[in-house]
Formats: sequence, structure tokens, C-alpha cells
Amino acid sequence: MHTHPSTLPASSDSDDDSTATPPRDTVLPPKEYSFKLPTCWSDQDRHSLLNVSLNGRELSYQGTSCGDKDAAAARTIHPIPPACGIYYYEVEILGKEHKSHISIGLAGHGVKFSRLPGWEPNSWGYHGDDGCSFAAEKNGTSYGPTYAGDIIGCGIDFTTRRAFFTKNGSFIGAVFENVGKDIDLYPSVGLQHAGEIIRVNFGHEPFKFDIDSHVQQQRSAVWNNILATPIDPSVLEGRSMSTTGKTTLSDEQSKGVLNKLVLTYLVHHGYAKTVRAFQKQQPDVLAAKDPDIVMDDTVAETGGMDEDIKCRTRIVNSVITGDIDSAIAETKKHHPVVLESENHLMLFKLRCRKFVELILETTEMKKRIKSLKETRAEKRHYDEIGNGNGEFWMDEEMGMDVDDDAVGLMSTSPTTIPYNTQPLRNGREKAVSPDGEAKDLSSVDAAAQYEMALNTAIAYGQELSNDYKSDTRPEVRQLFKQTFGIVAWEDPLEAGGSVASVVSYEARVNLANELNQAILKSQGRPTRPALEMLYRQTAACLLQLGTMGVGEAAFADISREILES
Amino acid sequence: MPPKSSIRAEEWDRRLHDVQITKNDLNRLIMDYLVIEGYKSAAEEFSQEANLAPPVDFESIESRMDIREALQRGDVEDAIIRVNDLNPEILDTNPALYFRLQQQKLIELIRLGRISEALEFAQEELAPRGEESPEFLSELERTMSLLAFEASAAAPAGISELLSPAQRMKTAGEVNAAILESLSQGNEVKLVGLLKLLCWGEMLLEERAEFRKLNVVEGSLVDSVHV
Repeated sequence: MHTHPSTLPASSDSDDDSTATPPRDTVLPPKEYSFKLPTCWSDQDRHSLLNVSLNGRELSYQGTSCGDKDAAAARTIHPIPPACGIYYYEVEILGKEHKSHISIGLAGHGVKFSRLPGWEPNSWGYHGDDGCSFAAEKNGTSYGPTYAGDIIGCGIDFTTRRAFFTKNGSFIGAVFENVGKDIDLYPSVGLQHAGEIIRVNFGHEPFKFDIDSHVQQQRSAVWNNILATPIDPSVLEGRSMSTTGKTTLSDEQSKGVLNKLVLTYLVHHGYAKTVRAFQKQQPDVLAAKDPDIVMDDTVAETGGMDEDIKCRTRIVNSVITGDIDSAIAETKKHHPVVLESENHLMLFKLRCRKFVELILETTEMKKRIKSLKETRAEKRHYDEIGNGNGEFWMDEEMGMDVDDDAVGLMSTSPTTIPYNTQPLRNGREKAVSPDGEAKDLSSVDAAAQYEMALNTAIAYGQELSNDYKSDTRPEVRQLFKQTFGIVAWEDPLEAGGSVASVVSYEARVNLANELNQAILKSQGRPTRPALEMLYRQTAACLLQLGTMGVGEAAFADISREILES
Repeated sequence: MPPKSSIRAEEWDRRLHDVQITKNDLNRLIMDYLVIEGYKSAAEEFSQEANLAPPVDFESIESRMDIREALQRGDVEDAIIRVNDLNPEILDTNPALYFRLQQQKLIELIRLGRISEALEFAQEELAPRGEESPEFLSELERTMSLLAFEASAAAPAGISELLSPAQRMKTAGEVNAAILESLSQGNEVKLVGLLKLLCWGEMLLEERAEFRKLNVVEGSLVDSVHV
């Protein structure tokens, strides 16, 4: 949304076709809200005395006479989208070295093409012969220098609804009020003498004027304006703006609101240690003051909530580390409703994940067997050619005698599945490290282990299938299909695509998140923390304002101002 | 103005859902708040728990907080020493801030009833600065008028507020901002910007459309859009 013409190089012919896709290297707003920009003169919306060049950028006057009644104007095909914030274009006067009776400016949809921009209502123009500005007037107002053979820029700032012009890259000044307030605005140029030719630059090439720094200035102006906005307590409570006498939160009160936002966020995501440290550091000044909005219930809540957070965090972490059994057991104990609601949907999802974990274990074992075999083969190879490293292989021989431990070590805890994402692997490398392998496995036992694990997995799957066979909900059927589908892959983790969406580490995290939200919901707590809702609400407001043509919103770029540092 | 359009609750919910925001983004907002507001141990814990790299070294948070606490308990002298220990340039290059601290010191002397000391301090340290700028002078006059009222409660609000905890917080906030700036760290809490952006955005949108409001304090959407 922070685009403006200078960052949107437009191809000159895409304008003719309303369905044309924009040039590939442009930065565009989301598809749903994409805007068409003026990129060339319209061959229809012009006076017949004006000739439009093939590339749509040049206008030349074809008449012979020289008077006001022979004025001829043209405009672009598309109007200017106000959501661009500031729109700017430049016109180079080619035909006239001395005096030019040209008007450069903006016009609404129905303005007559036999009149120069600025003479008629809904049109605004800057005239070359006298340097005057015209806004629906016959006699202009003194504004800037005259021009001929120069490059003239015309801009419209939708945040202020004022226009501005430049001459050869120099800013002349802001002019006009309420430009195009309730109408579509088009770039428009009028000529009236033979031999007058202009060429327009709608962002096809760099502008003479430094529009970027101009935009930057306006952006800061809007942002400063926002920062000067008082924080209205009734807005924060979701009521309409207080109409009688504006109230503002005091510094202390807004601090109270912020603390609450932070605290509820930390609690929501189970950052228990941070919560404790944060609460300890609350200065007494704050705790004592602001009886209204501040810490009151939150502090009290979190006192008793401590155990609750810990429990929820434990459950979430169990899912994240793949220990589904613990997650199910503890959820069943503390939040049975969560598993039962929606006909045991959450329980179903967890059990599906458990099946995934079991299958992943088996593929992991298979991989180990395979690599063991390969090592053996290599070893034989080395022995044959008499090149073996005795010491190294001795190690392995010794290891192979130690079979008894293998059983214990092979009943792998789920965390041994080697996701490529780091968080899982802390301190668990041992079970999969090469020399661990060598010690723990003999090929026969490994195969038996594998067989056993596979049987366990299949049995679990069959039980799951049996338990849910009468559940015909599409969601259940779909997840079921996807979950069992992973068996078809030798290494589901490598499979990518829809398989990855079931088996990946991210899938675990998503499931953990879903479970967290379900628990919170069952406790009557919001499923999203207030802070997140605040961000979402703000972003949605700004987007809506942008689509309604409120220019300032284009410069209130939430992710740029709030998220990027 | 054209009639207000109305955005149905389900449609609004869908839009809220479609907003792109990640947990990591929000975590960074939290960290920004903890650091700037000086919650050192919370910032440390959070860095661990959320697996987030700290944006500043945590010791600098602590010294900033010591300075703030000194100001909040009225020990301006101690605060000045600590600021200079941290970086002497902060006060050298910022006469307005130095004046603010001196003014706070004068306020504290008056609060303690050390009148002759206060007068001496004002004449020696503050009056010469008052000559430098009309703004300083007017602030000095405002502060001195505290002496005209026997009990601060009798003073007009514009004057008695100098004795309020809010005044200490204000001074402490200015010093905090100056230190953060010297560390080339942002000195505006991003969350405050976000709250203001919401107020600004809802205010503009309210003129044009009916939409579902958010109760920020509760973190829940308001059911009825009508007032």
C-alpha cells in the first residue's frame, strides 16, 4: 500500500487492456485490492484535435487556429487510485521553445475535452503562458513561473487533498484545496496551439523531481500526526469515540494498559519465567495507582494462574517434542473437555499425530539399518583390499557384542526423529550419532526391532481407524487419508508437499498451537492474545481505509512502522 | 459525506483472520517494550524462553533503570552522576535535558522545604540558564512560584503538578529517551505507536463505516456494532 507511481514503473501498453497483468517487477498491493494506475493517454477520452502517439505517451495538437475556443484536452484511461497516497507525473513540453498555452493538471470524469484543465468545474490546472493556477475559474490565480520547453511535474497528495507542481525538478508549492474529493481523478493536459507537443512520464523513466524524498517527508508528517493522537480510553474499550470532551489516558494509565497487553500475551503463550520476572519488576508506583484499567485482575489472576500456565506449557511442549502420549494424558487429566468437544476432534488429531510419530520412528530405524549395512559393505570392501582401519572397526566389533542394551535404547523416545530444525535436537544427538548406532545395533536385532515398531505403528493405526470408522465428517476423513498416506513414502520427511504438511516439524508446532488455543477457549479465555488482536484490528482498519480512498492510510504503514526496526 | 457503509461481523472477522502477523513479530514487539521500559530480568528470561536475540546488552538496561529509580525517588544528584558515568556527552550535548534535571532538583529541594538552599541553587545554577532561552526562563518562573503557596494544594493545577509523581516520571522518561538515543536504540515504545495507530485508524474509519470494534483491554471483539 505504500506504493506510489515512482515505484511503479508502468509499461506503456498494459493500460489498453483492463485485464492486463502488471509488469512483473512491480511492488503491488494484495491482489484483492490491486489498483490500476494511469500509464498512458486514452485514445478515446481526448479532443479530436489531439493526436496520441502509438506508445500512448505523446500528445500533439493537430489544429491550425490559436484561441481559447480551440483548446483541446486529453486524459488517461485509468483514474488515480487515492490509496497510493501521493500520485505524481511529469510532462515534457517538446514543441514550444517560447510561450506555451498549455495546461497541466487533473480532471474528473465528465469534464469537456474542448476546455483546458482548470477552466471547468472538477478540473485543476497550471498554465504555461501566465504561470497561473486554475481551479474551475476563467481567470487564474498567480502561482508559479511560466513554462515552455520545460519539464513540469504535477502531483496530488491524497492525505491533504492538495495538488503541487514542479518545474525542472524544483518544487513550486502546494496549491488548491479539496482536489477531487468525491470524484475519480485523472491526469489531464490541454493544448491549444499548432505545433504544441508534449510527452508524459507516468513513471516510465526516472523523474526529474525527487519524488521519493517528498513522499518520505509526507510519510513522516502523517506518522507524526498519528503519534500525536491521544489514546482514547473509550476506543480501547471498544466503544465509539467519546463525543463529549475528548479524554486521554494519562501516561500512567496507558502504561497500565501496555503492561496488561504484555502480561496477557506472555501468559497466553506460556512464557512462565518471563511472566514471573515481569511481575516482580512492576514498580509499586504503578501497582498503587490507576485503580481503573490497570493490573487489578490480571495480577491476581496470574498468581493462581501460575500452575495453570505451567500445565498448559507442559502440554504444548509435549506436542512440540512429539511426546503425544503425555500430551493426551495430561490434557485428559486437566482439560478433558478439550479432547471431547466436537465429537473428540482434538483427540482424533492428536492420535493421528501419534501415528505419524510411530511411522517416523520406523523410517528412522530403517535408515539406520540401511546405513549400517552400507558401512558393513564398505568395511568388507576395505578388508578385501586390505586397507581397513583396524582401530576404528575394532570399535564397531566391540559395540556389536553389546546387544542387550539395544532394546532399551531402541524404544526411541519420539524426540529422536531428526528434523532438520534445530530445536528438537538439543542433547538428543546421542541416540542417532554414528558411534551410538554402532554400539546399539546388530543387524539381526535391528531388523527385529524395526519389525516390531512397524507392527506397533500399524496396530495403532488400525485401532484409530476402528475408533473413528463411523465418523463421516469430511475433516476427519481428509486428515485420516492424509495421515495414512504417509506410509507410502520411504522417507515422509523428505517427501514435501502435502505429506510435509502432515509430518513436518511445523505441523507439530501448528498442532501444539491448536491445542493451546483449544485449552484457552475451554477456559473461556480468548484464543488469541489481546496484543495480537490489537495488531489485527489495526491492520484491518488501515486496509479498509486504504480501499475507501483515505490517502493518509497509505502512509500509515503498519508493518513498516511497527514491525521493522 | 456519503452514507456509512456497514461491514458485517463475519466479514470483519475474516479480515482480521487474514492479517499477516507471526508470533515472532509479536515477540519482538514484546522485547522492544521490555527493553525500552527497562524490565531487565524479564527481557533476559524472554530472550531465553522465546529464543530471541537481545537487541541490546542487558547491563545497559540496568544502568538506565538505576537512573530512572533515582529520579523517581527524587535523588536528582545521583541520577546526574550516573548519567555522566554512562556517557558524559548525553548531558553535554543536550542543554534542555540538563536544564530539566536541574529544574527537577529545584523541585525536590522545594518539596523538602529546604527553601534557602532552593533559592541559592536557583540563583546560581538556573537563573543564568534562564537568560539563555525564554523557554527555560518561563519554566524557572513556574517552578519558583511553588514557593508562593504555603501548601501545594492551594496552588493552581498548572503549578502544583510540578510536585506530582507524574512530573518525576516525565523527567525520568526524557532522560531514558536521551540515553536510548545515545545508544542508537529506538526510544519510542512500538506498542504505544500501535495503540495510537489503532485510535487514529478507528477514528477515521468510524466516520465512514460501521465495523466490529475491539475491546483492547479485554482482547475481545465487541458484539454489537451499534452504539
